Amino acid sequence: MFARIRTSILAASVSAAALMTLPAAGQEATFVLSTNEVGIPNYNPVMAVNTNTAFSMIYDTLVAQDADLSFHPFLAESWDEAPDGMSWVFHLKPGVKFHNGKPLTAAVIAKWIELFRKSENSYMVDAVDRVEAVDDLTAKFVMKHPEPNLLFNLSSSFMGVPDPDAITEMGDNYGISEAVGTGPFKLESFTLGQETVLVRNDDYAWESPLSANKGPAKLERITFREMAEDSTAFLELKSGGVDALLSVPTDYIDQIKAEPTLALFSIPGQEVYYMPINVTREPFTDIKVRQAAALAINQKEILENVFGGHGAVANNFLISALPESKIDPSLDISYDPAKANALLDEAGWKMGADGVRAKDGKPLSVALWTQSDSIFRRLTEVVQAQLKAVGIDAKITTFDSSTIRDQYKAGEQQLAVRSYFWNNADIVDWFFGGDRLGYPNISMFNDPKAEELRDKAMKGSKTQDERVQNFTAYHAYVTSQFPYAPIYQPEQNMAYNKDRLVMPDRIHGTSVTGVDMVDVSVKE
Amino acid sequence: MPGFLIRRVLLLLPVFLAVSVVIFLILHLIPGDPVDNLVKVGTPAAKRAEITARYGLDRPLVVQYGIWLWAVMHGDLGTSIVTHRPVASLIGQALPHSLALGGAALAFSSALGILLGVVAAAWRDRWPDQIIMGGVLVGSTLPSFWLGLLLILAFAVQLGWFPVSGARGWDSLILPVLTIGLGGTALVARVTRVAMIEAGGRDFVMLLHAKGLPPGRIRLRHVLRHALIPVVTILALRIGWILGGAVTVEYVFARPGLGSTLIKGLNQHDYPVVQACLLMLAVAVMLGTLLGDVVQALMDPRVRGALG
Amino acid sequence: MSLRRTLGPVRSALATRKGALAGLWLALVVVVAVLAPLLTPYAYDIQSLPDAFRPPAATHWLGTDEFGRDLLTRIIYGARTSLSVSVVSIAVSVLAGMILGAAAGYFGGRLDQAVTVVVDLTWSFPEILVALILVAIIGPGVTGTMVAIGVAYLAQFTRLTRAQIMTIRSETYIEAARSLGASDGFILARHLLPNALGPVLIAGMLATGDAIILEATLGFFGLGAQPPLPSWGAMMSSGSGLLFKAPWIILFPGLAVATTVIAINLFGDALIHALDIKTRLREA
Repeated sequence: MFARIRTSILAASVSAAALMTLPAAGQEATFVLSTNEVGIPNYNPVMAVNTNTAFSMIYDTLVAQDADLSFHPFLAESWDEAPDGMSWVFHLKPGVKFHNGKPLTAAVIAKWIELFRKSENSYMVDAVDRVEAVDDLTAKFVMKHPEPNLLFNLSSSFMGVPDPDAITEMGDNYGISEAVGTGPFKLESFTLGQETVLVRNDDYAWESPLSANKGPAKLERITFREMAEDSTAFLELKSGGVDALLSVPTDYIDQIKAEPTLALFSIPGQEVYYMPINVTREPFTDIKVRQAAALAINQKEILENVFGGHGAVANNFLISALPESKIDPSLDISYDPAKANALLDEAGWKMGADGVRAKDGKPLSVALWTQSDSIFRRLTEVVQAQLKAVGIDAKITTFDSSTIRDQYKAGEQQLAVRSYFWNNADIVDWFFGGDRLGYPNISMFNDPKAEELRDKAMKGSKTQDERVQNFTAYHAYVTSQFPYAPIYQPEQNMAYNKDRLVMPDRIHGTSVTGVDMVDVSVKE
Repeated sequence: MPGFLIRRVLLLLPVFLAVSVVIFLILHLIPGDPVDNLVKVGTPAAKRAEITARYGLDRPLVVQYGIWLWAVMHGDLGTSIVTHRPVASLIGQALPHSLALGGAALAFSSALGILLGVVAAAWRDRWPDQIIMGGVLVGSTLPSFWLGLLLILAFAVQLGWFPVSGARGWDSLILPVLTIGLGGTALVARVTRVAMIEAGGRDFVMLLHAKGLPPGRIRLRHVLRHALIPVVTILALRIGWILGGAVTVEYVFARPGLGSTLIKGLNQHDYPVVQACLLMLAVAVMLGTLLGDVVQALMDPRVRGALG
Repeated sequence: MSLRRTLGPVRSALATRKGALAGLWLALVVVVAVLAPLLTPYAYDIQSLPDAFRPPAATHWLGTDEFGRDLLTRIIYGARTSLSVSVVSIAVSVLAGMILGAAAGYFGGRLDQAVTVVVDLTWSFPEILVALILVAIIGPGVTGTMVAIGVAYLAQFTRLTRAQIMTIRSETYIEAARSLGASDGFILARHLLPNALGPVLIAGMLATGDAIILEATLGFFGLGAQPPLPSWGAMMSSGSGLLFKAPWIILFPGLAVATTVIAINLFGDALIHALDIKTRLREA
């Protein structure tokens, strides 16, 4: 009895003992993951619904994207797109080896792309019909239709290249005790919800030209810790328990600036906070009520008071850095309480004595869902008060951050406060596509005209310019139907201990990835 | 002694069975179909039926219970729905941390509590007693998460003596142990004080005094031994507190442990994890009761004599 | 229980210095909570974001919270939530515990065994775990919290009542009543329960203090009263992330909890002394 439990307990106590005797010196650094990256169940990029920063340390991508959104060689030395967009040829860097010693070949790439077909991320390779191995180092992507976004997809963390055979062999166990990529660091241990320890890949010699460092990384060992509370993370940084935070909430910016040993740096954010509105639930089946709820949100007040003026307001669904965010300004959504009140009056919801509107004796009372992270709870309370100001009584329900997605799938939400993290216009397709009702399409938005525009944007674009045009039109139409209210777009702030760490002069890419991490070192 | 032990262990069997039924039923008591918690919404009916069958949820409840119990007896606690990992390995990771924290907190609060209780009883109703019992009362009325946060502020941040969070090394144990230990100290100190006062009034103590033994020696060697019996009983009965009660402190100090695993499982509707954690706690509680009985028997000369 | 029997111990408890101080504080908290709308110049739920994070000053004696709401107002309204939740749940728990414990102690046999096993087991689990599990099943909010706290303390009152009933049951006057043909219900209601009442009520009073802490802890986990309704625990929950920026947000509700619980304990201790005539005689 209990035999199996005993062995695992033994194993655990051995690893705990090993941790306690960990030497503190040398090229070792501890980073705290952003709170929205907490709780990754495994390091399998193909099946992942979310990824964290450590993925890009374990896995390299074919293509690297820089902060200016330009693309650069990585595992692929070069590539050619056919003039009609119906095929791409990638020339792989020679000599690249996986952590298990296997070489990276075109055949491996072909196998890996096929793995995506059954996963939630299959849309990333939907446009790819098949991958042909022309020779060991030449992979030809044969397309179903032109896909100007292919390079972006190939540079995303979901498309870090793993050893496809390892994934097939290990199945559900892949990415827990073992993860096989070609990246500058190897997975040493992963404790769910606690920490991920990576050790240097000493064979590494295929860094992206964006990295200053050539060859293996400077750091020998990195620990990524997961902390559910921002305050704990901040205290750890302040007291020297960790060396860097990959995301700093705006509440702590002034205090970090005041600390002589800490340094702060910001990169353009990729996150948008918004309030999805379920278009299939009363009273939001009425577009006027949806518009009123959206216009009741005072973005500027939230920016100034909840986020201390750091970042920017959001007036539509996309981060301002994307060209597709430039829709007709008359469609942009911003605070207009007079119009919100007028719209609700028009829709028949009359203001009651208690400050809550009612129609046919029914109060305008709705459910407002949020997740348990402190910033969401706080923001949601402000949104609740702003809705109340126009006569909408919102009752807050809080869910665990990791289960709220499953809750959305039942489609019973009315309003919610949430955020997404992505820097490509195809996020509009992800959150409003008619075939993903519940989650990710929390708004349950399924509109024939939107579907038509969506199809054109996803599949009918031959060039990047055409794609921008098509996505702008799709994004503009979705916004005009008010299935969401935009709130806020943060900048990403990171902080580190400058007595301990030497960080590169500037961050390449749209967030901190393995490309930057190979340049980080510890002061000795 | 062996006979006594066997009898006590046999008595635990029906309790274990009753507990296992309750824990098993928790999954079924929760409103809604358990399958909804196992599959994602929008899963095709065939896949749903397959999962229902895989978890044996299409069988009669009694059969399901039998299968589950059989698996548990063989060390198979099931697979976590959220993380797709064997529950035994999740518990295996959490348990050492819980034992370390709980054990240290128990040792701390017993040592300090007994010391304070003895001192308070010796100076009964005079100022040392008043101060000790007042301090102990204050310590036990502070919400532990609040106390924990204030301790972090003072000792980890301002003074920098101890780590703020996590479970890496012995020094990360000190603040959590203090936070939990203060509450436990109050209980131990109160029970010890009362027991010392009561034992001190017994006839055999009068006799020892009459024999002319030094009062300090009587108090420590004879009275304390009698007084410790209720203290040990209380401590053993509360062993579930040691393993599961630290959940708030684990949360504040971001420490892994059985309590936080259970709470996370509850929040995530990960029922195999919840069942396994509860079972672990129940087993610990039963072992604690057993331990309490045995220690009590060993310390009480009358019982020891009867076991002969 | 006659009025004099109730008031007598309370009066003698109030006669001690500690008891008087504690009683005064408790009375103050209750009065303030009841009269909250008359006493507070601010509304507990109206946000004023530009006024957020004001440290204690003349306009806001205890400062403002992260939404610019007056902290003192919220603590006073929070007292309503925290006190009513803990008092109601403990009252229900005492009542249920007395019925269960009396039935088990009086009738004995299988019923007693079953009750004892269940009660001993739940008693060994920390109340916070029992409450967290129940709230997870019922759902967060004031009702869920009340049920959870009530059930968490049920074992304690059941045990106590049972033990009281067991000791009195075999006394001669009960035997006499039974031989005179009194029914079980009559004996329980007329003789056994009134005698068991004192200790159980005092235990209930002390448990109310623990229940305030438990309510605060559930609130800290975000499971108690839902916003914008204030409770001491919920206030500390949002304050924990702002420990540096605005320590008063977590400091003052914590002090409110601590002082109230200490007062309840001191008053309870004074009552025990007043009621426990045997001990008092021995001490004298």
